[in-house]
Amino acid sequence: MSSEKRKILVCCGTGCLANNSYNVYTKFLDRLKNTSIDVVPSVKSTGCNGLCEKGPVVKILPDEISYFKVKESDVDEIVEKNILNGEVVDRLLYFDTNEKKRIVSHKDASFYKHQNKIALRNIGEIDPQSIEDYKERGGYMALEKVLFSMTPEQIIKEIESSGLRGRGGAGFPTGNKWRTCFQFENNPKYVVCNGDEGDPGAFMDRSVMEGDPNTVIEGMIICAFAINSNRGFLYIRDEYQLARKNMQLAIESAMAHGYLGKNIMGSGFDFDLEIVRGGGAFVCGESSALMASIEGSVGEPRAKYIRSVEKGLWDQPTVLNNVETWANVPPIILNGADWFRNLGTEKNSGTKVFSLVGKVKNTGLVEIPMGTTLRELVFDIGGGIIKDRPFKAVQTGGPSGGCIPKEHLDVSMDFDSLNNIGSMMGSGGVIVMDDTTCMVELARYYMEFLAEESCGKCTTCREGISTMVKILNNITNGNGKMEDLDLLESLSGTIKDASLCGLGKTAPNPVMTTLKYFRDEYIDHIVNKKCSAGVCKNLTSYSIDKDTCIGCGLCAKKCPTGAISGTLKSPHEISHDTCIKCGTCFSVCPSGAVVIGGAANEN
Amino acid sequence: MKIKIDGNLYEGIPGETLMELAKRNNVEIPNLCHKIGFEGQGRCRLCMVEVNEGRRTKVVSSCVFPIKDGLEVVTNSDKIKKMRKDIILLLLLKTPNNQYIKKLAEEYEVTAPERYEDLTNTEDCILCGLCVKACEKMGTSAISLVNRGTTKKISTPYDDSSKDCIGCGACAEVCPTKAISLEDKNSTRTIWKKEFNLVKCTSCGKYYTTKEALNFINKKLGEESSEHICESCRKKSISKKFKESYKDYASHIK
Repeated sequence: MSSEKRKILVCCGTGCLANNSYNVYTKFLDRLKNTSIDVVPSVKSTGCNGLCEKGPVVKILPDEISYFKVKESDVDEIVEKNILNGEVVDRLLYFDTNEKKRIVSHKDASFYKHQNKIALRNIGEIDPQSIEDYKERGGYMALEKVLFSMTPEQIIKEIESSGLRGRGGAGFPTGNKWRTCFQFENNPKYVVCNGDEGDPGAFMDRSVMEGDPNTVIEGMIICAFAINSNRGFLYIRDEYQLARKNMQLAIESAMAHGYLGKNIMGSGFDFDLEIVRGGGAFVCGESSALMASIEGSVGEPRAKYIRSVEKGLWDQPTVLNNVETWANVPPIILNGADWFRNLGTEKNSGTKVFSLVGKVKNTGLVEIPMGTTLRELVFDIGGGIIKDRPFKAVQTGGPSGGCIPKEHLDVSMDFDSLNNIGSMMGSGGVIVMDDTTCMVELARYYMEFLAEESCGKCTTCREGISTMVKILNNITNGNGKMEDLDLLESLSGTIKDASLCGLGKTAPNPVMTTLKYFRDEYIDHIVNKKCSAGVCKNLTSYSIDKDTCIGCGLCAKKCPTGAISGTLKSPHEISHDTCIKCGTCFSVCPSGAVVIGGAANEN
Repeated sequence: MKIKIDGNLYEGIPGETLMELAKRNNVEIPNLCHKIGFEGQGRCRLCMVEVNEGRRTKVVSSCVFPIKDGLEVVTNSDKIKKMRKDIILLLLLKTPNNQYIKKLAEEYEVTAPERYEDLTNTEDCILCGLCVKACEKMGTSAISLVNRGTTKKISTPYDDSSKDCIGCGACAEVCPTKAISLEDKNSTRTIWKKEFNLVKCTSCGKYYTTKEALNFINKKLGEESSEHICESCRKKSISKKFKESYKDYASHIK
């Protein structure tokens, strides 16, 4: 056992907090007060460790032991066995579904070992509310380096050569953006952080702001110094309470330590940073709508024929980058552009953070080198599909991204490759789907989300998306006609070409990609009146295959409406009159005897 | 700067938008949310055209697109025509009973699929935003675009009668689809849930504007005029003045 002072890191990211991790943290603090131990371990609450599903996560350093799903009642055992006697508490270790064994250090688990953390490098390792913790891991050294040994030209050059592209989704070269803004000489200039993450199922930016707020601040100051700006804004959606709190605390401590405000580190450079709370409109994640919102206007985008680097916030030159992009800046400055370029692919350097969710065994936050394949992400890191059901598709890029079918599982996860197959990187949401997902319903769901979140400024986005929702409703309700598909395709093209902002231009993607890769399913809904995933209730019926049924009676026991009858050890039957098509029988049947049929089978 | 639209060359003024250039030269680009004197809004999307800046062709909205020297514009490619039809279809689905939109649909040979046309829908507003711009230009900003997505609408704050509204009717005047209800009955005007007393024209005696609008203008001009006349009387009086001023000159050139 190492003589180094032990650290107990309790994950207090939002996912773990929701599973009571704060009480686990305080229980550790209390428990250690009453321990007769020479060197009392320090207990820290950290940001998100990524594997949210298996939280709360507790790590013991320097032993490198990680415990998952830790409850308050486990604290005594961890202290007695591990801290006092140096024994590992086996039952709390991570069970690796790929390796089929328990793993002591999370670093050896399949979920983590393929990852390479740059933006997330400190998260889970430091107390986000402690600037000292950040400094201990090299924090603010990049700032010191640029302030005292680099010219703005050198900084911009470094970012340009690193090949860093905007992590918010569009993948615009960051160095290019900084350079254009640098060239405009009309002051004041502004630096803005887009923390208005709004894609359903995405939480990359939230985790960075919650778990390592100082890296975002440091990245922004470096840019401000490079482009000669003295004022910055952090636009954070108001629902992200913990992110706002940790960012605010970080701003205050950076001020107190002389990293923000007047005469930063004695360099003569001034920079102020403030938080603006976003009101929860999805469209405010679009940069021009975000700036309108900061200005106090309605969050509507504007045409970007003149870019924000020339006329942005209050019509002044503005650099706006996403949270993750900012988090990449300090390590690039410290380690150099070549180091960054060595990771990823030629035109997509570095890593990308993804939030891996849906029907996958390991859900959570993942940072992988660009160019990793989708297959590696879903199967090696994600551990494959829950219950080993068949993989069907992956939705990347949030609601306005696209669906990727299994024939593209070997696509390289980078900006260009994803665009080429009709999807997009977006901010990095990855939603995995199995055969129980209906692609038509999925497209309908996303279109409905976008219809509600469209700002309503331009006709094509406002009226176009809502009209597409009406058409899709007809199809999923069983009232679709084949000509609906032509109308969907025509409207998709017009919305894509004629909409004002990125939200509208990408909105038809879910429909376009599902029509491209899963057209059969649309036709099944329209012509055969059948939803083979059993999702669209009007187009679904359940029946029991007599030959496969083993008569265990489980379905009858679980059926909420008593629609299933039969005697033990003989085939059961479903009454269509009382069946509410909840699908419970389908999921509980151990022999796969419950069969999904179309609307016609009901009669 | 030289700009080519559908094969013809035009001289552009730096800083103007493509729509301004087109209107100045009587080049027809269909639009619903643009008016000379107002900044372009980019809302209705009917003014989409294809532009070529040398490297590639892209689709842009003319009313907000700043012109550049050497720009080549195509206003009626097949792609643009199809796009226009789709946009008119979407407007027709939104306001299936509006005369203006129906006429536009007819002109562009657009018919709505019956299954998606709700003929009980009496909506007239296409959310072009011109009324909001007009109100802003007047200096009152009594109405604005509220909500988002399909629930977006033009309204006064909290849908109440607004203390800022002066009943001038500029909003109704600029509305292309006659969606704003302005009712003049005897000496009362009702608009945006607010009643106003009308003022008579000192020349013809016809009620023509509200007291609030008159006070607002007087205050803006910094003068109180005892004579206030309606638009048609003003036209008459101006042409009369012209006639008198040029009477001698006119006989001189005969």
